[in-house]
Amino acid sequence: MTVRAAIALALLVCARLGAQATGVVHGTVTDTAGHRLDRVRVRALTRAGGIREIAVRYTDGSGAYRFDSLPAGWLAIDAALIGFDAIRDTVVIAGGDSVRMDLRLPMRPIIVSPTIVTAAKRSQLLDQAVTSVALVSEQQITQRAVNTIDEAVDKAPGVQFIAGQVNVRGSSGFVQGLGSRVLLLVDGVPANQGDRGGINWDLVPVDQVARVEVVKGAGSALYGSSAFGGVVNIITRETPEAWHARVRITGGVFANPPHAAWAFRNHTGVQDGLDLSGSYGHGTVRAGVSAGARHSDGYRQQDRADHWQMSGKGEWRPEPATLVNVSGAWASDQYGVPEPWCVSGHCVDQGQAFQPFLIDTANRGNRTRSDKGYLTALVTRTPSERTAWMARASWGRTRFTDAYPRRQPPLSTADFAIANRIGVEGRMVSRPDPRHVVTAGLELTRSDVWSNVFSGDTAGGGRTHIEGAYSAYADAEQTAGQVRMTIGARGDFLDVDGGGITAFVSPRAGAVWPTATGSWRASLGRAYRAPSLAERFVTTYALSFRVIPNPALQAEDGWSAEVGRTWTPRPWLRGDAALFFTRAHQLIEPVFNDSALVIQFQNVERARLLGLDLSVAATPPASHVTATLAYQLLEARELAHDSIPERPLLYRPRHLLTLSADYAVHAFGIGGDFRFSSRFERQDPLFPGDPQLPGKVLDVRASWSVQRLAVHVKVANVLNYIYNLAPRVLEPVRTATLTLTYTY
Amino acid sequence: MTTSRSHAALLAVALAALACDEGLLPQSSCPPGFLGICGTVTFRGALPDSTDVVYVVAYATFPANQSDLFTFQPLSPPTLHLDSASRATPQPYTLALPAGTYHWVLAAWKKLGTLSPQNADSLLREAGHYRDPMDTSKIGTVAVAGAVTGVDFTVDFTNMHPVSYFFPASPLHP
Repeated sequence: MTVRAAIALALLVCARLGAQATGVVHGTVTDTAGHRLDRVRVRALTRAGGIREIAVRYTDGSGAYRFDSLPAGWLAIDAALIGFDAIRDTVVIAGGDSVRMDLRLPMRPIIVSPTIVTAAKRSQLLDQAVTSVALVSEQQITQRAVNTIDEAVDKAPGVQFIAGQVNVRGSSGFVQGLGSRVLLLVDGVPANQGDRGGINWDLVPVDQVARVEVVKGAGSALYGSSAFGGVVNIITRETPEAWHARVRITGGVFANPPHAAWAFRNHTGVQDGLDLSGSYGHGTVRAGVSAGARHSDGYRQQDRADHWQMSGKGEWRPEPATLVNVSGAWASDQYGVPEPWCVSGHCVDQGQAFQPFLIDTANRGNRTRSDKGYLTALVTRTPSERTAWMARASWGRTRFTDAYPRRQPPLSTADFAIANRIGVEGRMVSRPDPRHVVTAGLELTRSDVWSNVFSGDTAGGGRTHIEGAYSAYADAEQTAGQVRMTIGARGDFLDVDGGGITAFVSPRAGAVWPTATGSWRASLGRAYRAPSLAERFVTTYALSFRVIPNPALQAEDGWSAEVGRTWTPRPWLRGDAALFFTRAHQLIEPVFNDSALVIQFQNVERARLLGLDLSVAATPPASHVTATLAYQLLEARELAHDSIPERPLLYRPRHLLTLSADYAVHAFGIGGDFRFSSRFERQDPLFPGDPQLPGKVLDVRASWSVQRLAVHVKVANVLNYIYNLAPRVLEPVRTATLTLTYTY
Repeated sequence: MTTSRSHAALLAVALAALACDEGLLPQSSCPPGFLGICGTVTFRGALPDSTDVVYVVAYATFPANQSDLFTFQPLSPPTLHLDSASRATPQPYTLALPAGTYHWVLAAWKKLGTLSPQNADSLLREAGHYRDPMDTSKIGTVAVAGAVTGVDFTVDFTNMHPVSYFFPASPLHP
């Protein structure tokens, strides 16, 4: 009995000792590249009594974790962090052991549809928009080390710039910057010029831009005139908390002409720039300012340019639901006019049929000074989850003087225009229940111009013209099951010089229905564009022709439709395709009357634009590569009218291809863009003998960043492909640029 | 990783191949594929002080009246260099023209001032034209089906003719 009792007691003690034996498990958690991961949830599990969690830890800043007293025996350790695949490993520990288990988590990018604010005049997810939207991110802008934002927008799918004039799906063509069919917004505020309707892309400093949204297709149902072919919204950075500063220094060189017969200077052209910005945010108040200057020798004769700019932004949040925002910018440019290029007999042509780097002798000395600015005040209030409203007032002003020193009397040796655009808007977004959203607003705009070139006075005198636009819009979205349906309309009432009201109604309907791997979308809307004051009243000389006004010019209008599909077959792969169609009437185009030697803007064309817009973006996990492909197939036809048969629209390429790729590892990155634009199908009627080529441009770049310093090297048009898109306007040659950015 | 790099390299090579040509190339004023007229202009006489510019233009048919004067080709005509060095020797010119026959190839002198159909008679002068090589008292005709060379003529600033020299006075300028 005694022996039995002793054995039993020994077994009991041993068993008890065994049950109480513990060990230590510790280690680090990293990603597959070896970077230590913070805040990873690490669990210890046992199978005693079924698999169950017995302890939880979170890694510290160095990626380390430690369990000090796990029971001896079989254990499973798992680790999980958002953006990574969870992993689990097992271990058997004995009492008193200390075991190291280092864990490596494979990356699993989480693809969240970006939030956009332009397509519906309110926040929504990209996948919820009924029309196609392309995004240009801050990262893409930074990688491309651009001087003006149009250089980055130019690479967006379905977008092409022709001598500075933006085309979304072939909407605008090229009309010397007059009458853009794309509306520019800066933080949602219309910013097209009050006189010409064109766009000043250098108004917003590039390092103040957070992203750009490009809404493709007719946007008149929400934005009215100018949004005939699309809307580009430049969204500026939010001002962060505390003190911040940024210095950006740029330097670069232009390649000389590749052939001796085209030589035009005996030195290498350079460009340089300096931008400074600073901001401070504390509590309810934030503000920032920036200033900068650039100089460029240009890549052609008479191409020197100087640019100065300032901008500022202030925010005040008196209470959490209310935000008051004031922003403004001013820019001034002085530059020579290097266009059109010289052809045989019009300069020292060295026996050449054309001299793409030289200016026509008759245009020597032509210069432009251009000043522009805007001021905006915005109040947004979100009193509840169901209601938000905003009110804004804006003032945009442009002033230019074109000097023509070789003009003969009675023509003035200077054309000038001073234009203002004043706008106010009130908007309310209501979400009465989770299935309904209603957006409605009122907008008033007054544009005026005082000019001797947009005067309508063929004697060359200066006059003022005023245009008023009074608009109301509403857009409603309803969710039925998975499908979101929207319907809306905008009414615009225009008055030019008190000559009576002209009304336009632009309806739009659309739907989005999600699927397991993406979504389908479809929309149909009316597009319209009122002629700019410049198109109505221009009176000047161009290309030996007298340009005469046409005050009776009518608005152009049309219908635009698209069916699109977004798909995400893998978390790292996203595709978007859209079939689009626009039928336009009364298109405003310059008409040449050879016998009278005059040009006049007239409503002449009916046109049809039909096409496919395709883009694919891939970020394969752990490859460090980001790649995008964008392709646009466009059939742009001017329909038969009068005695003219159907024919291609001018300045629209049938094929537009953009390929981009970036490879980044640690602090280094390299990348490039390739853009192919097929030859225009219709020769320019003014210069039928001119050579016409496709555009084929390759840009390469490299970057390195360490702490607060970032270095970007870019060689644009690295193959120095010499070509033009607009008639006799040479596109940029090879340009090497170095950009240093220091951020505090 | 190696595969990704290989793909990137292949892509770079493909892009370089796509873009390997140089685009526009220098082109002689009158190359074999050129459509139009090439020749030289020889200057005679002193350049008038009131000279603005001298154009070289062509007419498919000889103008029948004053308004026909604006049917010239090309729409943006080349100008001649008028500094003394350029006038010292025969000066080459090039006219890009559509295919066809041209019955008047001439140099048009323009006086300082803004040209319009109403003041053409006072601002424009015919300063010289291409003549028939077989009979230089007649105006020469040029058939354009490619590059036509040797269309040479003289600009004589001492013997220029106003518009009214060629036509009866227009009702606009009685």
